[in-house]
Amino acid sequence: MVRLITHNLLACHAKGCNANNFPLQFKDVEIEIREAEFNPDFLRGFLPKIEWKALVDSARQIGDTSLPAEQPEMVDDDFLKSLHHVLLELHIEEGSMTCPNCSHVYPISNGIPNMLLAEHEIA
Amino acid sequence: MPRDVVSAVIEGDPQAYENEHVHGVYEQIASHFSMTRYKPWPVIAKFLADLPDGWVGLDSGTGNGKYLPLPLDRPGAVWTIGLDRSQNLLSIARHAGDAGDGKVIREVVRDDVLGKSWRPGIFDYSISVATIHHLATAERRKSAIKRLLLHVSPEHGRILIYVWAIEQDSLSKRDIPHDAGSSQDSNSSEKGKDIFVPWVLSQSSEASKEQATFHRYYHMFAKGELSELVSMAATELGLHVGPPLATEGRKGIEIVQDGWERSNYYVEIRCWQSKS
Repeated sequence: MVRLITHNLLACHAKGCNANNFPLQFKDVEIEIREAEFNPDFLRGFLPKIEWKALVDSARQIGDTSLPAEQPEMVDDDFLKSLHHVLLELHIEEGSMTCPNCSHVYPISNGIPNMLLAEHEIA
Repeated sequence: MPRDVVSAVIEGDPQAYENEHVHGVYEQIASHFSMTRYKPWPVIAKFLADLPDGWVGLDSGTGNGKYLPLPLDRPGAVWTIGLDRSQNLLSIARHAGDAGDGKVIREVVRDDVLGKSWRPGIFDYSISVATIHHLATAERRKSAIKRLLLHVSPEHGRILIYVWAIEQDSLSKRDIPHDAGSSQDSNSSEKGKDIFVPWVLSQSSEASKEQATFHRYYHMFAKGELSELVSMAATELGLHVGPPLATEGRKGIEIVQDGWERSNYYVEIRCWQSKS
């Protein structure tokens, strides 16, 4: 953690950064894989909220190429299992996330992303 | 253990004030605080139990993350991400509800509740429990509510906010002084009180057993103050306050619960959007 389920929701909030501020780009990451319980009902409900290209690109950045470039129309169990693994089993323990727009860097330490801004960076 | 609260006077920059009297204190008392906070409030447990499968939410001011594992009878059906400013509390929240085998890990993010580090409207629900009362001005408390409104889906978002009340129940261990200062915000009709609540931390070492007392800042909400603040926040965002309207292209919020539970006030909000 941070896992891609959370990463897919995060956006840069530095002062004046309102466009193209998503997805944050991973850098120097350390990944741990931990098994998580498979819950297809949850995944089906979450699917419409996913920014697909961001998820696929981010997964590739951290070395996972199991997802198709386009979100498939047929949601079968094989697909949901790949999605489950990418969203919920890859934990980014260390590293950082850089905003693609303003280059603000958010560090990740002990699995916790730090999105806190300094006073002068708050919009 | 002294339980008395004393009135607080907010001076200087509110952020600096909160850093000293809220965030700094939680970093130091985190593990002891967490041991005393394990029982979910019934209203919040019910709110989370009623959510549909597949929903994703934000617990803004998650503390030790005690709500992250809920609902217990449907683990993994909804996914709550915990946000807090305290690194030490987040380290605890990360393992909330873990059986001790280290298998279950929660998603937690470090940020201020006034931050907006999310895609707008991306959450299905949000809870804010015992958090907004730590913000030092009415304006900042209203901003925190605006953030919640902007974080959730304008079509179906649900929000539950829970804050400390002046009206304490008879089982409360706290004695609220009658002369506790009324809030200094002169541009508001609120009757809340700004106070310090002591936290006594025993620090055992080989040589001695010392006690350290930390004072946390709270704004105690008066009756009606929370729902009034919610209505103001929504109105300033251009949202209609009340039941859904049939008029095309309207957005609004409905307060579906406005109550008091065991020394706390809470409101439940549902967002709605009419067809365009």
